[in-house]
Amino acid sequence: MNSDRRRINGPSGGTSAPIYSKYITQDPSSLPPRPTRSRQPNVLRKMFLKTGVTPSASGSAYLELEASPHHPNLTKTGLASLSTSGLKLTCTVHGPRPLPKSAPFSPHIILSTHVKYAPFATRKRKGYLRDASERDLGVHLETALRGVIIGDRWPKSGVEVIITILEGEEDRWWGDEGAGGEWGMMSVLSGCITVASAAIADAGIDCVDVVAGGVAAVVQRSENQSLVLDPVPSEHKDIVAACIVGYLPQRDEITDLWVKGDIGDDGGYEELADNAVQAALGAHRVLVAALKETADVKMGRY
Amino acid sequence: MASTAPASTLSFPRETFAKLSPHPYLLAHLQPASTSSIPTRANGRIATQFRTPHMNNGSLTHAEGSAVVRIGDTTVVCGIRAEILLANNVAGYRVDKSSTAPSSKAGYNEAKELDLLVPNIELATGCSPAFMPGQPPSTLAQSLSTRIYSLLHSSGLVDGEDLRIWYQPPDLSDQDKMEDEDEEDAPEPEVKAFWTLYIDILFISLDGNPFDAAWAAVISALKNVRLPKAYWDPDREMILCEDSVAQSKKLQLRGLPIAVTSLVFKAKESSQAKDHRYWILVDPDAFEEGLCDESVTVVIDCGSGKTKMLGVSKAGGTTIGMLELKGIVSLAEKRWVELSDLLNS
Repeated sequence: MNSDRRRINGPSGGTSAPIYSKYITQDPSSLPPRPTRSRQPNVLRKMFLKTGVTPSASGSAYLELEASPHHPNLTKTGLASLSTSGLKLTCTVHGPRPLPKSAPFSPHIILSTHVKYAPFATRKRKGYLRDASERDLGVHLETALRGVIIGDRWPKSGVEVIITILEGEEDRWWGDEGAGGEWGMMSVLSGCITVASAAIADAGIDCVDVVAGGVAAVVQRSENQSLVLDPVPSEHKDIVAACIVGYLPQRDEITDLWVKGDIGDDGGYEELADNAVQAALGAHRVLVAALKETADVKMGRY
Repeated sequence: MASTAPASTLSFPRETFAKLSPHPYLLAHLQPASTSSIPTRANGRIATQFRTPHMNNGSLTHAEGSAVVRIGDTTVVCGIRAEILLANNVAGYRVDKSSTAPSSKAGYNEAKELDLLVPNIELATGCSPAFMPGQPPSTLAQSLSTRIYSLLHSSGLVDGEDLRIWYQPPDLSDQDKMEDEDEEDAPEPEVKAFWTLYIDILFISLDGNPFDAAWAAVISALKNVRLPKAYWDPDREMILCEDSVAQSKKLQLRGLPIAVTSLVFKAKESSQAKDHRYWILVDPDAFEEGLCDESVTVVIDCGSGKTKMLGVSKAGGTTIGMLELKGIVSLAEKRWVELSDLLNS
């Protein structure tokens, strides 16, 4: 492990996350019950969205998704690290501001995105240096936002979109063994798109429309597969495929599309993407309501 | 109407004046032209007025302890993750007997020797345009982390005993040991591992006075920490934890230190320099931080009914003397009462 001498690194011997005796038992019946989806397949989680959390930035927003409820049979909740978590994101936008003199001429705005997990955002502690998944999220976010901003109104300028993930989505339930892909990343990206969109609007940067993110997934339920909107990975044992879109409702355009998993052909993917668009429409309604609230506050002040 | 129009064209709006000549702007606020109006700072507070603090605990799921502290427009999130350091991963640590362990020595600060408290401050979260991500930590972030680190250790806030994980070896002596071996007591308990607390402090929004807010967040999060019951499993040869709130324990913090930062604002115009007017501004915001050179941070604890000073750091000028420091400490005492009520609620 390479140590960063500009930070305080802790014991050189290395530490390990606590291991709970409950989860290493061989008997699956003694495991605490997995949370189950209590929402209808087409119902999204409750979303809280607020702009203007960082007054020192040009624009900012905070997004929170409610945590999935515990299994009804689980009488007492465990310690902090065993309960289920919701998504918590903050986003700040700095700019538009002039590019440094050394930068080459650009006829349109230069968008740069940073996505970073807080060290305490996930079950396994994250480091301070950005890892591959964070860079991946940053690139996806940039793709989703680039087509939305009317870039030629700010030549020779730059804008920075910075997202801090205070609490991420879990990839799987505690009892599950290492199996399963990084399904949590899909919901995180969807949240990133929505919160960045709100922050960009708060910063007063001209956009063709407000972009919203949405996720849909195909999950295995006993024998048959079913479609759900806004999946929570810990609630489903088997996720077959998932799709996330960045969607512009006014123009009916998709700015970013990412599908993971295998559901064979015969139009399954198209249906999946359509459902992701439906999820994005739900997020869009919350987004517009939050931005109306922001506008009311700003109009009232001036 | 004709008389008001020229006035508005000749004078700047407030924001422009503040941007163009910040020093006279703040001076004009502190020295109002009319004697009837109360001198206030540019942010509307009087010189000795703090911003209202807000605290919220335990909102993060994956952290053993967490806190969100908001002081004015400065917002800090602190999350504490506890991880396990095995005693035999510590170079040179003797695990055999508690009587010979280094912890039995007086004045031994185990948490410091073994690096069990790991505070880090992250400013590159977009909290302010001055600190952008993608770069190594700024000088301010590094110095704040070091100040938090040294204050955590010098205050002795966390009891080393809370961080030890003990193991009582079973007493096998009467079964297979020889009778004539002199009367041996039950085996002594051993320290098998230590809890390491990773204290990560993220700024969501920065409008001055980062140290006071960060320190308040650390205290609040430490008070919120719940460590699970951990034990050594000799069969698996590893540390296991119990997932039960009833068996977990909170940290026993020694005292409740509070940091209070003040700045000295000086009238530097030559006409006013003769009388050396200065103002002590407590809990400064970012605008005031840009205008003042001299700063004082006092860390006090009034928990035992008597004010204890845990630290004073002063830099950048010669204005503050004994008398002024006394005034600052008495202001800090008032702030301690306000913050300790919030921290204990």
